[in-house]
Amino acid sequence: MQATDSPPLPSAPPLPRAQRLSPSVHRRHTRAGLLFVSPWVIGFLCFFAYPFFATIYYSFTDFNGVGAAKFIGFTNYVNLFHDPLFRTSLFNTFYYTACELPLSTIAALGLALLLNMKVKGRAIYRTIFYIPSIVPLVASCMIFVWIFNPVSGIVNDLLTSAHLPAPNWFFSIAWSKPSFILLGLWGLGQPMVIYLAGLQGVPREMYEVAALDGAGPWRRLRYITIPMISPVILFNVVLQLVLCISYFTQAQVIENSDIGGPGTSTWFYVQYLYEQAFQFLKLGYSSAMAFFLFVVSGIIMVLLFRSSSRWVYYANEPR
Amino acid sequence: MRTSRVNRLRLVAGGTTRHAVLIVVSVLLGFPLLWMVLTSLKTNSQALAVPVVWWPHPFLWQNYPQVLSAVPFYRFFLNTLLYAAVTIVGVCLSSSLVAYGFSRIRWRGRDFLFQVMVSTLLIPFFATLVPLFVMYKRFHMVGWYLPLMIPTFLGSSVFSTFLLRQFFMTVPEALSDAARVDGANEFYIYSRIMLPLAKPAMATVVLFQFIYCWNDYIGPLVYINNQVWYPLSLGLYLILGTYTTNWPWVMAAATAATAPIIVLFFLTQRTFIQGIAIQGTGVKG
Repeated sequence: MQATDSPPLPSAPPLPRAQRLSPSVHRRHTRAGLLFVSPWVIGFLCFFAYPFFATIYYSFTDFNGVGAAKFIGFTNYVNLFHDPLFRTSLFNTFYYTACELPLSTIAALGLALLLNMKVKGRAIYRTIFYIPSIVPLVASCMIFVWIFNPVSGIVNDLLTSAHLPAPNWFFSIAWSKPSFILLGLWGLGQPMVIYLAGLQGVPREMYEVAALDGAGPWRRLRYITIPMISPVILFNVVLQLVLCISYFTQAQVIENSDIGGPGTSTWFYVQYLYEQAFQFLKLGYSSAMAFFLFVVSGIIMVLLFRSSSRWVYYANEPR
Repeated sequence: MRTSRVNRLRLVAGGTTRHAVLIVVSVLLGFPLLWMVLTSLKTNSQALAVPVVWWPHPFLWQNYPQVLSAVPFYRFFLNTLLYAAVTIVGVCLSSSLVAYGFSRIRWRGRDFLFQVMVSTLLIPFFATLVPLFVMYKRFHMVGWYLPLMIPTFLGSSVFSTFLLRQFFMTVPEALSDAARVDGANEFYIYSRIMLPLAKPAMATVVLFQFIYCWNDYIGPLVYINNQVWYPLSLGLYLILGTYTTNWPWVMAAATAATAPIIVLFFLTQRTFIQGIAIQGTGVKG
């Protein structure tokens, strides 16, 4: 069923092989190539492969970092699923991702579309749009908590004078997550610039032909722009997804400074993992959390890449 | 006659709407920074006043020297520079070597290993954090920047490697072949031919690594526990935790940490924007 309704996967063009080279030259190339990439290979083994397997091992142990790790079977995992804070933090991260991922995609693409218009002074607008994303994260937390301050913040001042409801933002259980989402939407410079580069790669003639055929701006966006930049959309969505899954800095800074995130309303998964490891020294438990995170994000990535063959269009490959 | 005038009117109107939209969005995005600077120049009572006082009166410049001497801010600044300088060397060395191996030499398994490298970008930082921390603890390296510096010498900056590989692939193969005919080995080609050509791409790598270090919070939070060695990000966090009752001071510190990076951005804008664009459009599937 699935095989019939999805288009056949494009086969990669045959790679130019070094077949004409003699075996000894071939060996020499392989040796040289491996030698050049060896720093990364060593780094990969030390900083990814080893910790990956060690995480799995620790997740089955009771370990505080100094003594020996004591094997306790699946206890950590069993405890994990009975831990209300685990569920809360998982839910909060899911909530944040489910809102932030579509909103940031639309916002970054929208900003890029605005910048792609033919207007004077585009470079100035681009600079202004980009700058928020290079502001140090701790500084952006400071700024947002301050402008959204319930009492003396400028946002509530404006809302009150417009006779609109003025929520407590970072200090309110209902509004704290949306506040973090707004903070996230402020620094979209990187995906925006990547979208902009993608938009500038769409051949102008396609729009001209479509306009001649009477396609309005919305149809041109839907049937030309979006398919043409779909590989860029996939790239940005994947990167934003990784950022959302490991959402940490902003929540940690704001909650630990007691300037927002009441109760457990903004306890995010990775934050809980960090607290378990470095606050309570439950390294086994937090390793179980880390492995769970790895598996879940792996499944999401696989699903995303599987689905991409249906909606991502590579112009330079046969369909 | 008439239609051309209507068209021109429509063009002007269209241009004005476009500018109006762009200006509104610019104000929304730029306002938080403007408000940060304005608050940093107010007295505390002005900052807390309801209704809001928009313009500081008078400009209270001494907020800056006061908050910057309340904590060892210059020390944090120097620590950040040290962290950035060492890791920039590491990234430039290792990423260019690895990028060369992934682009200029054809060998079996190359493309597979490259895919493995790119896919490590998808692994959340925290998924591998605990064993790494334990490892560094055993080697007595926790407390200083070594755990954040060593990986950069071992190709940990995938984005830099990716960017340099993209650059190396644009250099004609004939150049390397000519050198090979003359008896040059791969390392000679890498160091004497490719590296000099790659200066603009290297500049981008340096810039990104610098900004990464300037903004890095999680790494230092995990490994740096002595205040003497705090980088700016942790210094800001310290200020935020200590002076939440004095928002002008907090905003002055935020401005002091943000201003240098914005100045740098203005000076290097072209390099910057091109670098990001290359990362995004170079990825295929």
